Amino acid sequence: MSEDNGNSEPFEPVESKDETFGAETPVTGQTKMQAAWSASDEESSSAQVATAPQGQIFEQIYQPWEGTLNPRWMRNWSILRHHILGIFSKGHRPWNLPTKLFIFFVIIASMTDVALALLFGMIGEPTLYDIWGVNRDNLYGHVMGFFPRNILYYPIVAALLVGGMISEDRSHGTSALYFSRPINRFDYAAMKFLSVALILLFIINGTLAVYYFVDILVMGKGWAWIIDTFPMFLAAFVCGMILAFTYTSIGLALSSISRGRFFPAIGLIAILMGTRSMAAIINALFDKSLLYIISPYDAVAHVCQALIGTEMTYDHPWVWSLVSVVIMNGLALYLLANRVSSLEVTRE
Amino acid sequence: MIPDVSQHGSAETTEWKPVENTPVIMFDRVSKSYGRINAMNSVSLGISGGVTGILGMNGAGKSTLFKLMMGKIKPSSGAIRLFGTDPWKNPAPYSRVGFVPEHEKMYDWMTAFDFVTTFARLHGMTREEASKEATRVLSFVSLGDVMHKRIGQFSKGMRQRVKIAHALVNDPELIILDEPLQGCDPLARTTIMNVIKELGAMGRTVLVSSHILHEIERITEQIVILHRGRILALGNSHAIREMLDQHPHKIELECDEPRKLAKSMLAIDEVTGMSFSSPTKLLIETRHLGEVHKKLPSTIVESGSKVTAIDNPDDDLQSILMYLTGGAL
Amino acid sequence: MSSRMDTIWSKLDRKSTAIAEFTMRQYRTRISTWVVMIASALALFLMLLFYIEAMNTEIESIDNDGDSFDTDGDGYPDGQERLEGTNPDSAESFPDWVEPDPPEKWINEDDINWEILGDGENYVGDDDDGDCTNLDTSSQRDGNDNGRECDILVTVDALNSTITVDADANVDEDPDEEKYGKEAGHRSFILGIGKFGIVYLLGIFLPLFLATGLIREEMSEGTIHYMLAKPIARGELLLYRMLGYIGITWPFIISVCVILCLITGFTGPGEGFFRWSDIGVWMSIAWATMLVSLVYGTIFCGFGIIWKNGVILAIIFAAWELGMAFVAIFTGGDSAIRYMSVIGWGMIIVDAGVAISWPDNWQLIEIGLWGGGHGEENWLGEMAYVALPAAEPLAAFSGSPNLGVSNWLSFLISTLVLVFQGAMFWFIGQSIFKGKEVD
Repeated sequence: MSEDNGNSEPFEPVESKDETFGAETPVTGQTKMQAAWSASDEESSSAQVATAPQGQIFEQIYQPWEGTLNPRWMRNWSILRHHILGIFSKGHRPWNLPTKLFIFFVIIASMTDVALALLFGMIGEPTLYDIWGVNRDNLYGHVMGFFPRNILYYPIVAALLVGGMISEDRSHGTSALYFSRPINRFDYAAMKFLSVALILLFIINGTLAVYYFVDILVMGKGWAWIIDTFPMFLAAFVCGMILAFTYTSIGLALSSISRGRFFPAIGLIAILMGTRSMAAIINALFDKSLLYIISPYDAVAHVCQALIGTEMTYDHPWVWSLVSVVIMNGLALYLLANRVSSLEVTRE
Repeated sequence: MIPDVSQHGSAETTEWKPVENTPVIMFDRVSKSYGRINAMNSVSLGISGGVTGILGMNGAGKSTLFKLMMGKIKPSSGAIRLFGTDPWKNPAPYSRVGFVPEHEKMYDWMTAFDFVTTFARLHGMTREEASKEATRVLSFVSLGDVMHKRIGQFSKGMRQRVKIAHALVNDPELIILDEPLQGCDPLARTTIMNVIKELGAMGRTVLVSSHILHEIERITEQIVILHRGRILALGNSHAIREMLDQHPHKIELECDEPRKLAKSMLAIDEVTGMSFSSPTKLLIETRHLGEVHKKLPSTIVESGSKVTAIDNPDDDLQSILMYLTGGAL
Repeated sequence: MSSRMDTIWSKLDRKSTAIAEFTMRQYRTRISTWVVMIASALALFLMLLFYIEAMNTEIESIDNDGDSFDTDGDGYPDGQERLEGTNPDSAESFPDWVEPDPPEKWINEDDINWEILGDGENYVGDDDDGDCTNLDTSSQRDGNDNGRECDILVTVDALNSTITVDADANVDEDPDEEKYGKEAGHRSFILGIGKFGIVYLLGIFLPLFLATGLIREEMSEGTIHYMLAKPIARGELLLYRMLGYIGITWPFIISVCVILCLITGFTGPGEGFFRWSDIGVWMSIAWATMLVSLVYGTIFCGFGIIWKNGVILAIIFAAWELGMAFVAIFTGGDSAIRYMSVIGWGMIIVDAGVAISWPDNWQLIEIGLWGGGHGEENWLGEMAYVALPAAEPLAAFSGSPNLGVSNWLSFLISTLVLVFQGAMFWFIGQSIFKGKEVD
């Protein structure tokens, strides 16, 4: 627009110094044109102002926020709460229906040994009660029994839980919701990890505790028995923690490198089942149990056998399995940390 | 049948033929409901030839209309005919249709040329035919020089043009564009609108749905207005405007002495009302826009006022839409 | 209506190649494809390392009949003394007209040599070390009372799949463990890896990763609209996408089997420089895997079409097939429930291939399980033989087609059944896909 200065319509020349264009001038909804059009080297340059009412514009007053930031643990707790409560109440992370149903089913199914122990204990069947009641082998079996727990229940629950944990944030860009707030990446990853691990722990160790304590309460076991068996219970509890931790770290590592919901789930099951099958074939063929150290389930099982003190079903030393568990978890956590630290704060 | 692995030579013509003497698209009392939500309510229309704009607010049913047309969903009642054939479970008519979907996601790893040739071959073309046609359509949408670059490197406007190109590759009689201007910058919009205008001028039937009303009215006067699953109006936009009796046309004149001009305007019979929206503006209302415009120049000259601008503030699609929908969103 | 059919199911070669090529290129751009392939190749390679180690480890030779010892300490092994007619328990009696044999000559000296067994009675066996023929009386030499001295009576009841071994004393009692163990170990490795590792694991995991999202992912991302707005039937689309899937998985399966065949063929036991007889087995493993992955591919793709979370159905189905795989492999063809699965038919193909390429396989198993006839009577009165090394794994992983027809016919029938299953699931999938409203 090259209007010459002489044409006074529709512009009104402004003489007053009040018309400035600095930051303190409020935005009022009047269109103004810069004085640049008429700028000269003189001291006083007149600003050409054409005013036309254009509408309402809010008056923005920007001030730095000096409120109090909630402590870090409280912020993290909100993330944890969001993920865990979503399983059974609305208004939190929406887990899909098959996942919720399956978790419920697994909790019930994991307590079959409770039911059977109670049944045979209460009807007074000593031999059958001995098979199902609390003892070293059954405590181990509750956590690490292969069929059906560690082939049907726990791996699939873990797969369903970890599936979209991080990959959904990547594909939908909702990671921006976290990182545009005062939450650092370690907390983000840690709270997600903790939420999955806690749910798994609740399923595995929660039912273990129910098994143990219900047996005590209903069968009226005395203090001597409790003192005898409590270390075993604790050892089984620790095993459950190791198992949950391992499944979670592998699953989350897979979730962090994928963009879909299914690749991490299938990947976790493929790793767990595939490595175990391979090792089983080699063991059947060549009578060598060494390959079991690459199978997460078997490595953890071997360590648990040593911890709880049940019969060892592997030929190689359990220390090797322990090293393998540590290495597997370390690799998975390293991968997770790497991926999360390079997560884009937008859709990837 | 021995597969034609070499795929040289020209493609044979398709055996399916459209039914004669029917509109290209015909909807006969079509309704579609999802549970309790009525996405479409007894819509009847027939479209043939030229560019037609499909307008409406969000949730009016534009996407539903296209999905029904393209056989993606099935009507709850009523009949749909595409070239005389029902498109549900029958993709035969698509040999004459080019569809530009709304979805943004494309295969970023393909080059534009690959993208167009692959989908060209789905029409039954040989490799040579497909390459030739792809080059032709990509040049038509002004992507000829970048067609061997990956789509992932394209801007939004270029991606839209690739989509349009791929829809044109089989030289279709009917071209459907679902929100083609979405997310495009003004330059890209202009390019795309020009393409659409050209297509209409070539005698194709083009359907365009858009929110950007002032762009639509630049390329066509044929419109269909949808609102809450019903057709509010269809036909020529100016004719529709004429029919809106409750909302008389407005003419806005900008001059230095509006009151003086107003006195002269009173002489025109068709003027039904006047108001002064600002010290320099005169707003005239009339039910006969054409007549008043005919008499306007002479009246202005007679009054001796200096008029700097004449405008029809509500003869645009925006106003039509607002009046028809009662301003409801 | 016919005009409609002409338009869409027409120019199949052009449309099919277009979509198949596109699908294969799409797979190549995805990291998951590479991860799955490289991971499975690595896994198989890892198992191959165990095999190579086993093939290079010497199996301990056991002197089953104890005739390499020198009981009387006269420098001549007992077996030699018996052969020469002197008394092995007396130090004064020794055959001084011959040189003393080294003890190794009397270990594994009486290997099991049976000809191909047929149904009914078979007279097999050879007394290589002469400790049967040197027995004094005829009745001692013909312990199984079949009128022939120093032989083994093997009665095969093919109908009930039972075998009874009745050996004369000291016939074939000191078999060569190394030779048997290597051969049986090699074959059991091929069968174990082939059936379980390749046909089942590869056959299930490749489709699980690659086929479930074939249509479903396009639907979720919205790119399916490009394909649906073209004059091709949805069934065609599904078929051609599967063609693309095959174009990626089948070459991979074939290459894996070729490489494994070459490596095990060259490092395996045997006189020649390459084990030609294994080729048939590897080919049947490859063919079974290819067909099984095709059928699973159509099933999983169908699951993806039916339901957004179709992967969950796929996992459940895979668990069912795992059970069926166990039944099919470890019951060796005796169970009828395997006909209700996909993997069961795949195993029949492998078993038929084994029966054709290694016609002596069953016999080898029985030899190994008999192991020279050493063992103790258990409380049931049955002989519990001590098996030769690797005989039990070989027995576990071997099976027979058991369809009641010849091996080639079994092969053909199983192929047809699998192709039919694939076609049936394709048909179901495309019918559902056709009627599906796509948003």
